[in-house]
Amino acid sequence: MTLATPVLNPVPPTDAAPVLSVRDLRISFPSEAGTVEAVRGVSFDLLPGRTLGIVGESGSGKSATAMGIMGLLPPSAALRGQVLLGGRDLIGLGDQALSEVRGNSVGMVFQDPLSALTPIFSVGRLLSDALRVHQDLTKRAAWEQAVELLDLVGIPDPRNRATSFPHEFSGGMRQRVVIAMAIANKPSVLVADEPTTALDVTVQAQILDVLRLAQEETGAGLVLITHDLGVVAGHADDVAVMYAGRFVEHAGVEELFRRPTMPYTARLLAAVPTVDGGARRPLVPIGGEPPALVGLPDGCPFASRCAVALDACRSDEPELRHVTGHGHVACLRATEIADGSLDPAGDAAPVDQQATADRTEAGEVVLRVEDLVKTFPVTKGAFLKRRTGTLHAVNRVSFELRAGETLGLVGESGSGKTTTLMEILRLRRPEGGRIEIAGTDVGTVGSGARVRELRQDVQIVMQDPLGALDPRMTVFHLLAEPLRAIGRDRASIRSRVRELLALVGLDDSVSDRFPAALSGGQRQRVGIARALATEPKLLALDEPLSALDVSVQAGVINLLARLKRELGLAYLVVAHDLAVVRYISDRIAVMYLGHIIETGETETLFSDPKHPYTRALLSAIPMPDPLRERTRERVVLEGEQPNAARLPTGCVFVDRCPLYRLADDSVRRRCRTERPVPTPVAGQPGHQYACHGV
Amino acid sequence: MVRYVTRKAVGWLLMIVVATNATYFLASWFLDPRSNFKELRPVRSEAQIDRALAPYNLDPRVPLVHRWWDWLTSVTLHFDWGKSPTGVSVNGEVGYRSLISAELVVMATILSVVIGVALGVYTAARQYGWADRVSQAMSIALFNVPTSVAALAVVFVAIWLNQHAGLHFLYVAGENSPGVEGLFPTIGDRLLHLILPTLTLTLMGYVGYHLTQRSLLLDTINADFVRTAQATGLTRSQAIRRHGLRAALIPTAASVAFSVPAIFTGAVITETVFGWNGMGRYFIQTISKNDVHGTVATAAFAAALTAIGAILADIATVFLDPRVRVN
Repeated sequence: MTLATPVLNPVPPTDAAPVLSVRDLRISFPSEAGTVEAVRGVSFDLLPGRTLGIVGESGSGKSATAMGIMGLLPPSAALRGQVLLGGRDLIGLGDQALSEVRGNSVGMVFQDPLSALTPIFSVGRLLSDALRVHQDLTKRAAWEQAVELLDLVGIPDPRNRATSFPHEFSGGMRQRVVIAMAIANKPSVLVADEPTTALDVTVQAQILDVLRLAQEETGAGLVLITHDLGVVAGHADDVAVMYAGRFVEHAGVEELFRRPTMPYTARLLAAVPTVDGGARRPLVPIGGEPPALVGLPDGCPFASRCAVALDACRSDEPELRHVTGHGHVACLRATEIADGSLDPAGDAAPVDQQATADRTEAGEVVLRVEDLVKTFPVTKGAFLKRRTGTLHAVNRVSFELRAGETLGLVGESGSGKTTTLMEILRLRRPEGGRIEIAGTDVGTVGSGARVRELRQDVQIVMQDPLGALDPRMTVFHLLAEPLRAIGRDRASIRSRVRELLALVGLDDSVSDRFPAALSGGQRQRVGIARALATEPKLLALDEPLSALDVSVQAGVINLLARLKRELGLAYLVVAHDLAVVRYISDRIAVMYLGHIIETGETETLFSDPKHPYTRALLSAIPMPDPLRERTRERVVLEGEQPNAARLPTGCVFVDRCPLYRLADDSVRRRCRTERPVPTPVAGQPGHQYACHGV
Repeated sequence: MVRYVTRKAVGWLLMIVVATNATYFLASWFLDPRSNFKELRPVRSEAQIDRALAPYNLDPRVPLVHRWWDWLTSVTLHFDWGKSPTGVSVNGEVGYRSLISAELVVMATILSVVIGVALGVYTAARQYGWADRVSQAMSIALFNVPTSVAALAVVFVAIWLNQHAGLHFLYVAGENSPGVEGLFPTIGDRLLHLILPTLTLTLMGYVGYHLTQRSLLLDTINADFVRTAQATGLTRSQAIRRHGLRAALIPTAASVAFSVPAIFTGAVITETVFGWNGMGRYFIQTISKNDVHGTVATAAFAAALTAIGAILADIATVFLDPRVRVN
């Protein structure tokens, strides 16, 4: 078992000169709607070896800040202010002069490792090119250094892997390569833009450790940009919260999380689903949407969403001011909030408290899945496809779901959760096992008409609402389409669409808008309304919240809870974010390599996880609380989920299992040869796990 | 690599054999060499016509399968592609004309690709800048000009230049001047004749490469990996050239390779305007003169070029994209 218990970094001497100083950075882009003021006066100092976390939602200007520092903004962007790197101002330098700084003094880690590496070059070539841009090295020497770098960031067998191409690496491994490229020339500043957002939680923990290692190796100051407050809590020394292109709060990590002082920060923290112990607290959505950055009105941009806004907040935008014992806050009422005399949430009491706490009585069985099996052939050859293996995507998965109940399927990418969902939605006889929907075995449904009828009972909400809604149809047509498909007449469609909009909390006026004109939260509500149009019994939700910002997410979570209660729906939720799943699920099934390895009531599973994988998964989720995040015992899994085409004969988790390494020989033999069957936990009905070692 | 190319080549050879034989039957059914004699005065009898065609293996009284068998054996054993209804050897015609076409096409293709791709790269990096807008407007205008108009315009300008500047090196007709002796004068003379038709074909050909290369590169120019390359310390244009362009060149390489047969047999209008006797005109002539063997030989020639083009495209792809491991 790997224990990583990082301690709070000792504060370095304050007289150290900052490696990077940003002064009043302003970035704007021309757009059709007018000038977009993406960044409106950002200032900070970054000391060597320290980490500044910049947190914000999409569109808050955090990525533009990073790109501005790197000089990687598109040519149309206008930059003002100062970016002082080692005393030299980078603003106004030409591309040629900037290119000498990039990669040499400043290294950058990007968000999506899948697209950040040139696909047609080997990683060794990419790394040695990065070295040779700034250093006069022979090809051979550069290659040797590239291999060393790969070794440093934890790529096993670096000498051979250097000749591999990016597509031969997993996402986590590619991100390690990107980090290696960023630190190749030992920069004094590292900028990491959402470095773990595209990765699974267990891999996220590994990558954050690599990033820490890289920082130690180079002694660089790190600017860590993320939307995840948990990541910041665990890894930053200072935190800056961005909203509408400005820092609205800038403080030490402990101060910020102990008493968030800008109402936005406080409300953001209250809206984040968490996994830490005790009862789950209700989520309080912030309400409203982040403002567009075109033609911002006077006053504080958060005023319209703020519960404690004064009249003065609407006329003048408050400056970032020092608050004693805290840090810098841009709020007129910061002192009141800081000394505890004002609650930034105001009287916006959790409206839907009942919704999350209250469990509806489970009704009849809506979905029963027994021993579901789905395999894909692995083929080789371009013209004549030869079958060279079998990928076991879903392996003997069983569960049942009752009306008014939510089952969360969680697991890393490649665990088979989405495949399970799609097999159910296919409404055909599965490859193996049985699927029963509302008492009907889908394997026995022959006629197309009956399948269409059954289709009304099962609907899906997709992950990305922008991709799932036809951009050329108005909201009205989007909602009318499923109704037309089941043959409703015009008048009833019209009234039903109005009903649906009201049901998901949207105004009638959105019905003639196109999806592109809606905000992310509104779009997802339309997606839900569309799924509800045919009055289904079962709603399949495929990562319904992962494309949404935290402040909007909470509202959708509450909406889903209300709908379930009012309509007696059954939800089958697929998600990788355990914290979110906790808030919407009654029961959870944890999947690994196509197997359900543990299942149980949500709170039982969170408080008493049995399977080592579940434990690792739970402990990998960063908590938005610096003290607990840095002192708790974490199980960091090594390696990544293996290929489902070559399943181990015994337990599928055996290669990464921390218990296996500690177990004695007889248990080890069973783990290797015998696949564990679900065992019930005594005294906890419904809680089952599949492990020999517990 | 060699094994891969050989395997591909065998596959294509099979394809060429099938296509050529199919063309033989189609051409024999649809082209009737007897009609060439119908207009002749004095009027010939059917028997006379058939007898005249018999030595060229075109006698309609002989069953088609027999004629095909004779043609096939002579092609496979002697590489003799037969004779036209007037007794001209197809081999001689194709051999001579394909060289002329090659002269015309090779230079023009190289120029089109180089100019088109260079313009595409230059303008993609400056999307919506004035250089991009001007060159795009010009390309779209040229795209809409029919070849005949463009060729005639080139001829007019050349004649005007010749007259006003007293120049006499812009030849507007023929592939060479009669009576030039010696190796170097011949080459020089041919090159001078090449200027105008090459110019026309280049003007017509570069546009496609410019517009497609521009949009292909625009797809990769803003790719994350180009930004990563910039972050390692390359300038924007270096990053585009080293990381973006290579991936964006793959489709262009394939389209160049496949366009070779089309330009060989498709430069009819340019050949006609400038009085060149290339493969394009031959293709039209053979069909209009009911020359079964000539038509089939042209088809076979185009099929062979397609095969060569496809194999070249594969090689180019492997070269540009090392991920494509041949197995």
